[in-house]
Amino acid sequence: MKNTRYRSIIIYIVVCFFFAGIGFFLFEFITNSRQWAFSPVNRHLSEGNMSGGKILDTNNIILAQTLDGKRIYNEKEDIRKAMLHTVGDGSVLIPTSVQSRYNSELFGYNPVIGFGAPHVFDINQNIKLTLDSEVCAKVSKSFKDKKGAALAYNYLTGEVLCMVSLPTYDVNNRPNLDENIKDKYEGMYINRAISSSFTPGSIFKIFTTAAALDLIPDVEKRTFECKKVKIIDGEKVTCMSSHGKINLKDAMSKSCDIVFSDIAIELGKEKMKSKMEEYGLNAPEYFDGMQVISSSYDANGASKAELGWSGIGQSKDKVSPFYMLKVMGAIANKGIHVEPFIVKSVFTDSSGEYLNNSKNLSKRMFRETTAESLKEIMRYTMKNQYKDSMFGGIQMCAKTGTAEVGEDKLPHGWMVGFSYDKTFPVAFSVVVENGDFGIKSAGPIAADMIKELHSAFKTGKYEKK
Amino acid sequence: MSVLFSMFIYIIQIILPFMGILIIGCCFKSLFSNLSFKHPLIALINKTTGEKIPIVYWENSIGRDKHCDIVVNSPTASRDHAVLYRRDEGWFISDTNSKGGVFLNGSPISSDEKVYINDIIQIGGINYELRKSDVFNDEPEKNSLKNSYNKFYAGGSILAMVSMFQALCTVQMCFAGSSFDYRPITIFAFLFGISWISFIVSKYIIRRSNFELETLGIFLSGIGIMNAVGADIKSTYTQIICLGIGIIFFEIILAFIKDPDMAMKFRPYIAVVAVLLLAVNLVFGKVKNGSQNWVMLGPFSFQPSELVKVAFVFFGSSTLKGIQTTKNLTLFILFSAACMGALFLMGDFGTACIFFVTFILIAFMRSGSIRTVVLTCAAAVIGAGFILKFKPYIVTRFSAWRHVWEHINDTGYQQTRVLTYSASGGLLGLGIGKGALKYVFAAPSDLVFGMLCEEWGVIMGVLIILSIAVLGIYARSASIRSRSAFYSIASCCGAGMLVFQMMLNVFGVVDILPLTGVTLPFISLGGSSLISVWGILAFIKASDERTYAIKR
Repeated sequence: MKNTRYRSIIIYIVVCFFFAGIGFFLFEFITNSRQWAFSPVNRHLSEGNMSGGKILDTNNIILAQTLDGKRIYNEKEDIRKAMLHTVGDGSVLIPTSVQSRYNSELFGYNPVIGFGAPHVFDINQNIKLTLDSEVCAKVSKSFKDKKGAALAYNYLTGEVLCMVSLPTYDVNNRPNLDENIKDKYEGMYINRAISSSFTPGSIFKIFTTAAALDLIPDVEKRTFECKKVKIIDGEKVTCMSSHGKINLKDAMSKSCDIVFSDIAIELGKEKMKSKMEEYGLNAPEYFDGMQVISSSYDANGASKAELGWSGIGQSKDKVSPFYMLKVMGAIANKGIHVEPFIVKSVFTDSSGEYLNNSKNLSKRMFRETTAESLKEIMRYTMKNQYKDSMFGGIQMCAKTGTAEVGEDKLPHGWMVGFSYDKTFPVAFSVVVENGDFGIKSAGPIAADMIKELHSAFKTGKYEKK
Repeated sequence: MSVLFSMFIYIIQIILPFMGILIIGCCFKSLFSNLSFKHPLIALINKTTGEKIPIVYWENSIGRDKHCDIVVNSPTASRDHAVLYRRDEGWFISDTNSKGGVFLNGSPISSDEKVYINDIIQIGGINYELRKSDVFNDEPEKNSLKNSYNKFYAGGSILAMVSMFQALCTVQMCFAGSSFDYRPITIFAFLFGISWISFIVSKYIIRRSNFELETLGIFLSGIGIMNAVGADIKSTYTQIICLGIGIIFFEIILAFIKDPDMAMKFRPYIAVVAVLLLAVNLVFGKVKNGSQNWVMLGPFSFQPSELVKVAFVFFGSSTLKGIQTTKNLTLFILFSAACMGALFLMGDFGTACIFFVTFILIAFMRSGSIRTVVLTCAAAVIGAGFILKFKPYIVTRFSAWRHVWEHINDTGYQQTRVLTYSASGGLLGLGIGKGALKYVFAAPSDLVFGMLCEEWGVIMGVLIILSIAVLGIYARSASIRSRSAFYSIASCCGAGMLVFQMMLNVFGVVDILPLTGVTLPFISLGGSSLISVWGILAFIKASDERTYAIKR
């Protein structure tokens, strides 16, 4: 029996494996339970029998709430569609949405009680957003079924006022993706404003100009020459027209490709890259605590002509609408951008608001002098090229871009800009996928958005709270 | 439902895991107490040296080998010379194929001979006198306090707690839906009836001194039954009947192996029956859920492979005399190969794995040879390699392992559901019957751990599997003082089998191991499985020295 006694220790080996396994499971549970609980397969969430907090817009319009155990969204289809990517649709197919990301606050989830607490103990909190859903709805409609994204924010406080992404759909009537409409709804779960990056086209000239202002003394006084086509080492760089002798300011307003190509080549790969990275390209990008897509500049291994193209927003350049918004905010605000945010406050029905998100995190992006020069150049561009009448007389600074995407597709149209008037501190960024020229496609959307926001500001809509 | 009432239900919900901890804690506290009792049973006196040798085990090997319980320092003694063992009738000595033979009071013995106090046993030329243990002159341990403590638990108070626990669960289940459901009350009534009838039978008719192991079994089986109420109330009635059959099976096995020497004689028949069962399964088996391990008998379906598990442990076990006289494992290896081969043909890889691990446990317990274990494992790895080479489609079954989130709608379907809903339940759970995992195919059987975590809470889920693991530790502790090596081996290997099966199930569904689709002992819905688990539990029960004690 002594033998049996010693040999029976083998069972401890089996038990040890068990303890190792259960330890591993508990570790995984602690670290991952939030993701597991909010996975797209969870029927507790998709069938809407969960109680949940309200999501409100900046004017206290209810975007989502739970009534009698059902998740109800805003009664207007326009608003539901415009706010889809921000609010989410309860199926957790849009992981960047507030409903997915603020699940603990809205649905009272935590790994200890799970979703288990009875409704009496509901500690569902409500979330108030900085967005104006009515403006969003109008902007979303302005896209006229084109794909793209539009953003606007208060560059002094960081409050995002408008964020829409197209294509979108109605939460109450999610399309069944069969072959006929697959193309129309391609990428409908993606919030293009923060999760997509596009070739920038001429709006990238803002960065090239900034680099020139930083590194080339008296560049504003220099005269460049554009002969429509320039051959560099056997490769062509072309412009829309032959601008002849031209200075930096006019090159920007007329969007001369040759001038900015020349500047990029003059600065060289190393300086271009280090300047672009100084402005935040190639760096991880965050919005409201989540990592979003970063914008990129890459001239590695580029020929001289390619380096030239990279200075005018073609080649491998990619920017996201969200990043462009921050850039606009920085130029408007003396080179410092205030971090955009979307959640104004989190509060329970009984208690007041207790989490105010307006932390005003800010960071320098451009030198102050560079920002001021850029601002004037963009104001000049607006006044001379697009005319103030475009924004109904509101004094804006702006730049459009038309990004060639090759093949036989229409180019992406961009328009980015900000208000020149500090009493209306709004910056914006609009992109229309395959929308044709920026001024034709993104321009009218930007104009609609700015006019809406301007009248809201002037009537004091956002002051009452 | 009023606010107060739903709070009341939730308070029950929070109390349940703590009651569970208390019940399981009490069961094991009582089971582990008294196990380390070290007073010698009798004594042998070496007539040459006058050395007093305490005999502490029920079965003792005698020989020249230093691993023997009684080492004979004589060149004429064989390595494993004889076995001195105790049965209900008294002490016996058996010659285990020694060269020099064993002499009792001067005459050589041919078969097992009964030994009395003051008898002289001669082994290798050395005379030993059998004496009562009072030659050690120390007081017998005072057990009166411990005994009364034991009686307190054995008197049914833990079972009363279990019934209370089940009553609280029933309240929860009745109010789980939008309207009151009376059916859980019938379930509770049946459970209550079965628990207390078996308690009364065990205590007053069979006159067992304790009931903790059965209480633990009833507690766990009850959770399995109540867990399935929300998903499939009809099959819970079958499950309750099977629990009853299981408890009867448990008592039958206990009675059957009461005399380990008799049990040894039955082993070949058991093996033949087991192989026949598997053969019937192979010929008449029905394919269900991917493996052909079901046999239909009129309206009933059962899994022969589950019952073969009990037979397997039974056949693998042996008394000390059996171990000493049959040194090779050839028959057992052949039997194991037949079982595992049949399971592979049925496509039941999970159960085949369980048999394999149990085989290793038994082989090691009987031979003590690490070389055998290593060689067997190596052979298994090579074998598995061949199988995967010639039947590569088997790999695709396990392709989602550690990548389940990339396969949420195919091979990772079940695992992702288990993880999602376990997290939804959190540590305290949603409440019995309120889960959503139950709508997933095979949830109350294969994915039952996920259901436990979702509805009863992760604390409860972990507590339950922890109690099965502790059962393994207890089986080992009890086996040290077993009345026979037969019980020791059956208990350790049976418990090892349960723990390993539990690991395959639980770690399979939470994506720590590949998913194989075996049941969770006690908890999974499945009659054959439950009966088989109770059969294994009988081996663990038998290993406790107190089980066959006559109650004073």
